[in-house]
Amino acid sequence: MTSWIAKWWQTMKTAWSNYMTYRYNLFLQIVGPALVFFFIKYNLWVSIYGETPETKIGGYTLTAMITYHIWGFVLTMMAKGHHAVDLGQEIRLGRISSYLIYPFNFWEFHAASFLAFQFYQFFVAGLSLLFFYSTGLLETFNLQALLLGIVYAQFISVFWFILQFATGLMAFWLEETWILRVILEILTAFLSGAFFPLEIYPEWIQKLLHYTPFPYLTYYPTKIFMGDTVNILVPVLTISFWMVVGIILNRFLWKRGLRLYTAAGM
Amino acid sequence: MKLKYYWDIYSKFVSTSFTEASSFRLSFFLIAVMDIIFYLTTLFSVSFIFDHVQNIGPWNKNQLLFFISFMLALDHIHMTTISESFWRFSDHIRTGSLDFLILRPAHSLFSVFFSRFRAATVLNGVVAWAFLIYYGNQIDLSWLGWVFVPFLILLGLNLLLVIEIFLSTAMFWMVEGAGINFIRMQFQQLARWPDFIFSKYTRKFLTIVVPISLVGTAPVKFLLDFKDYQYLLWMILFSILLWVLLFSWWRFALKKYESASS
Repeated sequence: MTSWIAKWWQTMKTAWSNYMTYRYNLFLQIVGPALVFFFIKYNLWVSIYGETPETKIGGYTLTAMITYHIWGFVLTMMAKGHHAVDLGQEIRLGRISSYLIYPFNFWEFHAASFLAFQFYQFFVAGLSLLFFYSTGLLETFNLQALLLGIVYAQFISVFWFILQFATGLMAFWLEETWILRVILEILTAFLSGAFFPLEIYPEWIQKLLHYTPFPYLTYYPTKIFMGDTVNILVPVLTISFWMVVGIILNRFLWKRGLRLYTAAGM
Repeated sequence: MKLKYYWDIYSKFVSTSFTEASSFRLSFFLIAVMDIIFYLTTLFSVSFIFDHVQNIGPWNKNQLLFFISFMLALDHIHMTTISESFWRFSDHIRTGSLDFLILRPAHSLFSVFFSRFRAATVLNGVVAWAFLIYYGNQIDLSWLGWVFVPFLILLGLNLLLVIEIFLSTAMFWMVEGAGINFIRMQFQQLARWPDFIFSKYTRKFLTIVVPISLVGTAPVKFLLDFKDYQYLLWMILFSILLWVLLFSWWRFALKKYESASS
């Protein structure tokens, strides 16, 4: 057990050190896009509300809409995974051969790297929150909601990791996995409420989305952060169900993919 | 004569890209799907907002969707002809493979930024233009407006391209320049919205300091009202100025190239 923990710890340390080596790139890749996405949404909504910020659009005043997007940003920083890049490359370049003989699984290595990355995400999310609060963009927050939101965000991040792992594993079949990653990101942003709250969508789409995991990735966690009443059991059970589906899918992809693996570059 | 020389080289680049793309058919198909998903989600997002409001800034639903379609048509040409080269550029600098490009008997800017053609997205142009034509009809664009559209798209693309190359040249000073591509993509994001959504100072910054906002806003404002041509003049002026500066900037940057692994 101790040696098992030591392996995880050492991998996390190595991954952390790798992330920090290219911290400038990491910032531009992870934080930059989310910042610009927030900046555009902020400006767009200010422009939409214009001179009447107290008007309600989809039940949101301008302040409520901006608060929604601020928490959406914090959530993105805390939970969204970015692991498929490394994973796909390792398969494509034949680097996974080492994992097949090491006493440390491929998924364990990436799960440990993911945990290390969570520290970085957590740190950036904390700084962002501090920035929004100190500049007055975020007027107030509920500590209990914040803690519940953080716990739920960590839960969501595991699901993101599973999703990213699946796209990465597609490298057994595809020359380029970034395409799947981008499709996943576009669809998730559009369907999860990252563009705007679900209340803005036509009613039939809102109803349809509740049969998918998407609203539980952005809309509901953002609502939790905002301190709105959310029956936490529904998102937890829904995401848990999709996590199980994802794990089964990943095991299947891994087993099938290994049959095709040619250890290119060995 | 020189134009024909470059056109012949470019034709070879295009034909090689088609050959390469046909070897990876699933990727070819997925790239096309990815772009169509991007077009649809972008248009639907704006459309959903207009279910709740009449106008955004001075524009109504059809005017803003025409702007978005204009940017999608511009994006389509950008993604097909140039975008992939930017991603390869950072690799070329890091690995030293840029040597092979700058030694070619053509201008290095041409070899670096026009050698990759994304064959998979060629057909998506039909989708992008279908949206542009549909929303152009919705705003009753005049026949003269339709004549201007292709030229204005190319003008916008030209400005976007020169800004992006300017920015990407900074990769010469970095060990791993891929991060610059993410800044470049964020500039694209900013260009995809009309300038009036931004506050006064941001608008000035995006019009004068980094004139990315002119890429779409200037041509579409002109198309909506021919009297609104001032931005278009700025756009042409900035394009010329930036191209002139770019050649010097590029030569200066090339001196910093360390030719790794050579």
